[in-house]
Amino acid sequence: MSRRFPILGFAAVFALVLLAVAGSAHAQQTLMMATTTSTDDTGLLDYLVPEFTRDSGIELKWTATGTGKALKLGENCDVDVLLVHAPPAEQKFVADGFGINRRQVMYNDFVIIGPAADPAAIKGKSVREALSAVREKQSIFTSRGDKSGTHQQEMALWRDTGGPIPEKEPWYVQTGQGMLNTINVAAERNGYTMTDRGTYIKYEANHQGNPPLKILVEGDQILLNQYSVITVNPTRCANAKVDLADTFAQWMAGERGQKLIGDFKLLDKQLFTPNAQ
Amino acid sequence: MEFIFEGILQAFVLLWGADAETLSAVTATVKVSSASMAVSLVLGLPLGFWLGYHRFPGKRAVRTLVDTLLSLPTVLVGLIVYALISQRGPLGPMGLLFTLPGIAVGQAILALPVVVALTATAVESMDRQLSVTLRSLGADRRQLLLSTLWEARFGILAAAVTAYGRVMTEVGISMMVGGNIKWHTRTMTTAIALETNKGMFAMGVALGLVLLAIAFAVNISVSFLRRHAR
Amino acid sequence: MNPTGAPLFHLEAVEHHYAGRRVLAVAHLRIAPGTIVGLMGPNGSGKSTLLRLLGFLETPSRGRILFKGRPAAPFDPRIRGKVTLLPQDPYLMNRSVADNVAYGLKLRGGREKTEPRVQEALAAVGLAPERFARRPWYALSGGEAQRVALAARLVLEPQVLLMDEPTASVDAESAERIRQAALTARARWGTTLIVASHDWSWLFEVCDEVWHLFAGEVFPTGTRTFFPGPWEPGPEGRWRRRLADGQHLAALPGKNPAAAAVIDSRNLMLSRTPVPEAGLTILAGTVLRLALIRRSAKVVATLAVGELTLTAILDPEALKAQTLIPGDPIHVAYRAEDLRWVDSPGAD
Repeated sequence: MSRRFPILGFAAVFALVLLAVAGSAHAQQTLMMATTTSTDDTGLLDYLVPEFTRDSGIELKWTATGTGKALKLGENCDVDVLLVHAPPAEQKFVADGFGINRRQVMYNDFVIIGPAADPAAIKGKSVREALSAVREKQSIFTSRGDKSGTHQQEMALWRDTGGPIPEKEPWYVQTGQGMLNTINVAAERNGYTMTDRGTYIKYEANHQGNPPLKILVEGDQILLNQYSVITVNPTRCANAKVDLADTFAQWMAGERGQKLIGDFKLLDKQLFTPNAQ
Repeated sequence: MEFIFEGILQAFVLLWGADAETLSAVTATVKVSSASMAVSLVLGLPLGFWLGYHRFPGKRAVRTLVDTLLSLPTVLVGLIVYALISQRGPLGPMGLLFTLPGIAVGQAILALPVVVALTATAVESMDRQLSVTLRSLGADRRQLLLSTLWEARFGILAAAVTAYGRVMTEVGISMMVGGNIKWHTRTMTTAIALETNKGMFAMGVALGLVLLAIAFAVNISVSFLRRHAR
Repeated sequence: MNPTGAPLFHLEAVEHHYAGRRVLAVAHLRIAPGTIVGLMGPNGSGKSTLLRLLGFLETPSRGRILFKGRPAAPFDPRIRGKVTLLPQDPYLMNRSVADNVAYGLKLRGGREKTEPRVQEALAAVGLAPERFARRPWYALSGGEAQRVALAARLVLEPQVLLMDEPTASVDAESAERIRQAALTARARWGTTLIVASHDWSWLFEVCDEVWHLFAGEVFPTGTRTFFPGPWEPGPEGRWRRRLADGQHLAALPGKNPAAAAVIDSRNLMLSRTPVPEAGLTILAGTVLRLALIRRSAKVVATLAVGELTLTAILDPEALKAQTLIPGDPIHVAYRAEDLRWVDSPGAD
């Protein structure tokens, strides 16, 4: 190649690269799922999906994101199936005709954590009492503030106290970040927050079992976090792989999936409780 | 603080042991950023030449627009590209969502203003007699373009390196358009974001250092090119 | 070379504007193949613009330029590599001397070996190929760079070589080499040379024709002297222009007091002692320089009068009779009727 045409040579090389990139997008029986960060961050999907692929021969790709975006991806037909945990939003999603076959598969639970000194004295109280105490004492409370499933759950808890949902109050800190970062912010500010138990277990492990923030409220019925599988509506999304999505939903709700979910342990603690009907 | 040192150690382990997940993310990053650079150079060099070489009414406005696009937020690009290639978007049938070519499209949009603006500046700063000389010696339009770009090669190389840096380190487009799908569209930056979200700060640092190592390798080859392009 | 018999260049009603200002206006102009044309005139008179138009580097704002009887435009294959301009400050590309010279040949993409031709071209401008070919562009003196730039054009064996002040900023040796190389090109390939220069050795020893440019207007064939404004009303219903030394120019009233007046240099009469005569304006000055016009065997004299420089054309015999030498005091006489007004494009 002559020195006069370095750019052409450049372009030729990159054109080859481009072909290589395009060529790597191969098609087979692939199911696309949108899910929430909690299922990915805990490692549940890394554990479940290879088993599913072995049983069904279906390749499952997933993108982990906030529940809000996951539902949006479903609405836009960009994914075939959803694994999410925000029951009211899910019901609306199905009611609006974006999804079908909503199937409950498992739950985990939320806990309210805070500093061991517990300035608002919420330990052992019900969720309603605990949050009212936080509001009264104006103790720091950090929130995801990102419309994620966890954030929606938290807002539901505040609504349940009867008072307004805090928004601009100086003690109410909306991080706009993931769960773990939000816990870290709470720890830095010596405040409270609500988290799913899985993330808390990881947080606990990061601090060699002795973290600054402890579980103060747990076990309340309202803290249960229900996960469901939803298939996108094939009448809206012509290209959706409904058959594959059904196979996945049945596998998750079936004996094998349910057993694997129950067996999944993080640092020797069970994270998810299977509850398919 | 200790996770920084842990991360440095872990970076060596990842590189030394050729960790499969890291390797997959490295490959995805290199592939997608090379592809986006190719597209942005092929489009951006002639556009930048045109913008730097010609005088036309409204040129100032175009320059200002291009300079503004240098600050294009990656998330905005991600959203726009997503809107275009979503199943319900106009380019949906091309099936680009959650693929590397999809990310490459977004990154090319991100890099294009960098290439155009810096190429235009490099061409503008060339001696005014260059064009007279090239044309006097019999250059046609294409030869004029190529020879001018070749004369401005050091400036253009700087443009390419800057654009490459922007493309390789962006996370908004890769996350939004690529979906951070393991083994497929997980790039170095989305992997770092994921590990950080998971609280694996050390791993995040390690991957960050690996990314820095790739950038280092790219710049080493560029400076080699520079020395031999005299 | 030109079987149709058409002139090499033919300018028809050409005007050129920069930013709305007229910088050049040529009603009609022909250049025959193989001629050596000298362009003289003050800075900003339009010499460089004319060269760029003749080089088809720009398209005139109005009118057209025919090349060998047919209109040509920038990037026209008919002129590419055949009509070439050597600008005043040549640009050397960021590569070796040999690569600079070979550039145009390589653009042509012929199969011919470039190396011997590059060496030949370098030798033609007096640069030893073995010493200069491998040098990078930045390791050259101003004169050497100018010669490399000329070699890059000579290697193309051009039909037209346009040169803008080729020897204005180079040493004496380089200037002579450049002149010789250009003349050799004309001798070998019949190259038409068009040279803008202040250099008398070019204009009056080498050129077949010298055109005078003033304020964007071209005055072909013949030497002229310009009396710039501003003019004011003077005695006897005439206009006058005061010079720095207190003398006055006289002219018939015109339209624009800012305009310049031009006189054919042959209409300037020289004498050692003033010879008063009705209607004659007489000015005292000094002889600056005398040079032979090769073609016409006449002598061109430059004179300093006040702050102006006048150019007169003399018969050698007249010169001998007066035994003029530079430095002598002299008197210049002219008739106001011989002046013509030039509508300066810059003034409107």
